[in-house]
Amino acid sequence: MTVFPLKFTRLASDYLFADDAGGYFRADGRFLERYAGGNLTTSDTEFLHTSGHAFDEVGDLAYMGFAYRWAQRLHRPQELNYVILVPTLRCNLACGYCQVSRVNENTSGFDWTEDTLAQVLRFLDGMDTASAKIEFQGGEPLLRLDLLETVREFARRKFKDVCFTVCTNLQSISADAWAFLDASDTFVSTSLDGELSAHQRQRTITSRDTHQFVSNLRYAIGRLGQGKVSALPTLDVNNLPTPNQIIETFGDFGFRSIFLRPINHQGFARKRYQTMGMDERWNDYHGRFIDALIEHNWTADFPVEEFYFTHCLRRILRGGHNHHVDLRNPNILGKDYIVIDFDGTLYPSDEARMVTRVGQIDLSVGNLWDGIDQAKLDVLNEEATNSFHPDCVHCPYQAACGIDVIDDLSRYGRIDVRKRDTTFCRRHTAIFDKIFELLYSDDKKAHKSLAAWAGIPEFDCSLAPIHT
Amino acid sequence: MGRNPGVRLFARPDTHMIDLRLKIGDVPIDHPSIVRLRTDAVESEHDAVLIDRDHQSQTFDLAGYSLRVYCDPQTDLDGDVLLLVPGRNSAHRLLRARSRHNTFLVTEQCDQLCVMCSQPPKKYHVDLFDQFTVAATLAPENARITISGGEPLLHKRRLFQFLVAAAKARPDISFHVLTNGQFFEPGDIVLIDEIGRDRVLWGIPLYAPYAELHDSIVAKRGAFETLSQNFMTLMRVGAAVELRTVVLQQNWDVLPRLAEYVSTRLPFIDVWAIMQLENIGYGRMNWGDSFKDTSLDFRELRSTINLAIGRGIQTLLYNFPLCTVPLEYRHLAPGTISDWKNKFLEECGECKLRSTCGGFFEWYKADEGFGGLSRQ
Repeated sequence: MTVFPLKFTRLASDYLFADDAGGYFRADGRFLERYAGGNLTTSDTEFLHTSGHAFDEVGDLAYMGFAYRWAQRLHRPQELNYVILVPTLRCNLACGYCQVSRVNENTSGFDWTEDTLAQVLRFLDGMDTASAKIEFQGGEPLLRLDLLETVREFARRKFKDVCFTVCTNLQSISADAWAFLDASDTFVSTSLDGELSAHQRQRTITSRDTHQFVSNLRYAIGRLGQGKVSALPTLDVNNLPTPNQIIETFGDFGFRSIFLRPINHQGFARKRYQTMGMDERWNDYHGRFIDALIEHNWTADFPVEEFYFTHCLRRILRGGHNHHVDLRNPNILGKDYIVIDFDGTLYPSDEARMVTRVGQIDLSVGNLWDGIDQAKLDVLNEEATNSFHPDCVHCPYQAACGIDVIDDLSRYGRIDVRKRDTTFCRRHTAIFDKIFELLYSDDKKAHKSLAAWAGIPEFDCSLAPIHT
Repeated sequence: MGRNPGVRLFARPDTHMIDLRLKIGDVPIDHPSIVRLRTDAVESEHDAVLIDRDHQSQTFDLAGYSLRVYCDPQTDLDGDVLLLVPGRNSAHRLLRARSRHNTFLVTEQCDQLCVMCSQPPKKYHVDLFDQFTVAATLAPENARITISGGEPLLHKRRLFQFLVAAAKARPDISFHVLTNGQFFEPGDIVLIDEIGRDRVLWGIPLYAPYAELHDSIVAKRGAFETLSQNFMTLMRVGAAVELRTVVLQQNWDVLPRLAEYVSTRLPFIDVWAIMQLENIGYGRMNWGDSFKDTSLDFRELRSTINLAIGRGIQTLLYNFPLCTVPLEYRHLAPGTISDWKNKFLEECGECKLRSTCGGFFEWYKADEGFGGLSRQ
C-alpha cells in the first residue's frame, strides 16, 4: 500500500493532515511520528485506505478516485463567458474609498464613444459561448442607460442564455432606469456599507442622500424582488461596525448573504485609507463576525452567511467548487472573464484596472481595437498557480486555496514574496484555520451554521474525521 | 423472426391506473411491428391516423388496414408508439407521448440474482432492437427513454447499435440505461463517445462498500471487483452515471461507509440515488428479510446523506413517501415512482404533501410496510 503524501499543521493539541486532493483528517503527534518514520500500524493503513489517502496499485479504483478528486481541485478555464463593462467613469457620488477614480457627473471624455460602443458589440459578437454574464460597472452605469440598453438588446440576440448585473449606487434612479431593471434577466448589485452611519460617512455624506438611498433600496427590493437585488459592504478596518450591527442592518433589508470586504488596496483608496498592515486586525474581525453569525443563526428563522466564508468552507469540503474568480487554482487571467474599461482598454480583472489607474503598473492586456495582448497575459499566467509554489506545496490548505498575482503585484510590486508574508496568504490561512476550528469543535451552534453554509440537512461528525 | 407466442415483454402485471398494454383487434402482420398513433397528421410511414372513435375503442388507419385499439374514450393516444406482435391481441404501449416514464424492456435475461429484483430474470431472449430503434425515432420531442431489463448489456453489441442509431436519428432524445455494470470493457469508450457522453445516463447499482456483502446481495461472486474495474472505464470516458443503492436490512449498517466509499472512489458520478425497496418480484419474496422501515429509523441515512452531500456528491432519495422522511430531508426526495405504477393509500386522504409526493408502488402492502406513515 502507498500513502499519498500528507501535509500537516497544528490543530488544537493534535495535527490536521491533508493531501493534494483535499482529503483531510485529524490525528495526534504519535501518528505523525509513525507516518514520518515509516512505522504505520495496521490500523493506520486501514484508516488511510478506506478514507481515500492511500492505494494498493497504480490504476486501482482508490488511485483513480484520488486522481479524479485532485483534478476536480484544478480550475479548468472555459471560453470567455463573463464580461465586465464600464460604459462610463462618471458618477453622482464621491465615495472616499472609490477604487477606480471616478470622475464628476458632468465631466466629459469618460464615456464610451460611438466607436467604442461599436467595438464592444463586435467584441461580444466574437464570443464563442452559448451562455454569458454581463456586468455593468462604473462610475455609475445607469448614467448611460442608453448604452446599457443597446448592449442588452444585442446580447439577448447573440447569446442563447444571458443575464445582466447592474452595479449601481441606487442613488438616483429615473423611471426609465427602473423600467430597465424590471427585466427578469437583469439584476442589481449595490453597496451597503455595513450599517447606515458608516454608509453615510463613507458614501452618501448627507442624511438626505442616505435617506434617498435607503428608500431606493427598499423600493428596489419591493419592485424587483428580493432575489434580484444584492448588496455588498465595504469596510474601513480602522472604523468597523460591530458584527451585529451589520447582521441587523442587512437582515432589515432581507439580505441573508453578506460578503464582507475591507477597503480595497488596489485603487485610489490607499491614499486616504490605511490598507496595508491590517491583516491581523481584519482577520480577527472576520473571525468574530463568523462567531456572531453562529450565535445569530442558533435562534434565527433563516440562516445568514458570510459569502466568502461559505465559499471557502465548500472548497474545504469538496472539489469542483471553482466558480468564484477570487479563489481558484490555477487562476488563469484573461480567459473566461475580462473587463472592458470606459476607453476600450482590456483588463484581466477589476483590480488590475485599479492598479493600472493609480499608475503603479500597467496591467492592461490590450484594447478593443488591437485585441487581447496574449504575450502579456502569458507572462502573468505563468505564475498564476499555487500547485508548484514552494510555500504552497507544504500547506495543508493548498487544495482549497487559490492564488492572486494581481493582489501580490499591487501590494509588493512583485510576485515572489514569501507567501506567508502576503496579505492573500494570511487572510486565507486565517479563514481556513477558522473553518477547521469549527469543523472539529463539538459546539452544536457551530454545527448548525456549518450545515446551513455547507448546504446539508444536518452536520455529521464524519465531515471532521479523526484517526486515533 | 416468425410467430412467437412465447414473447413476453412485461412481466409486471397491468395496473388499473395506466395500461401499458392495450387490447387491439386482429392485425395482419407477420413480424413484430412498430406503429405510432396520430389523431391528425401523418409524418412517418409508421404513423396510423385516427379514422373512427366509439365508446370503447379508437380505430386507426394502418397502411390500409384498420387497427382497432380498445380503450377508455377519454384516453389520448396521439403520439403514442405501440409494438404489435403477430397473433397477439394486445399491443405494448412502448412510448406514451404524455408521460415522462417510458421504458423499453430489452431483455429479461440477467447474470445476477439480486435479492430485491423487481423483474426476476428469464431464460429466453427475443431480439427486438430493430423495433426499439424505430420506436425511438418516433418518440416525442426531448423524450428520455429508459432502457431496462434483465441486464441490457448482456446484448451489448445490439444495444450499442440501437443507441448509436437512435442517438444519430434523434439528436433531441436521451437515454437512461439501467445496467448492473458488469459488461463494460475499455474498448467501449469509442462507442460511448459515438453515442454521445451526455446522451446516456447509466443507472448502476452498488449495494455495499466491500465485495463480500455486495456480491452476496447480487448473488454473483466477483461482481464487486468487476464493477470497480468498470467504474474506471466509465470515469475515463466521462460517462454520466447515476449510482443506485437500494436500502436493505442487509446493507443498513454499512451505508455511512458506502458514502465514504462513493465520495473517495466514485467522485465522478452525477447523482447517487438511495432507493426504497419495491414490493414485487424477488423484492416481495424477500420482503421480510430485506425491507428496512426508514419511517421508524432514519439514523444511518442521516450520516450517509450528510457526508455524501457535504463532500459534493449530489444525493437523492428515490421511492420514499414524503411523510416517511424527516422534514429537513424532504427536498431530497422527488416523486420518482413511475406514473403507471404508483398509488396513494386511503389514509393519504387530503395530505398536504400529496402534490409533491411520489406515493407508493401499486403493489405496496400496507400491513407489511412503513410503520410511521403520517398524513401531513
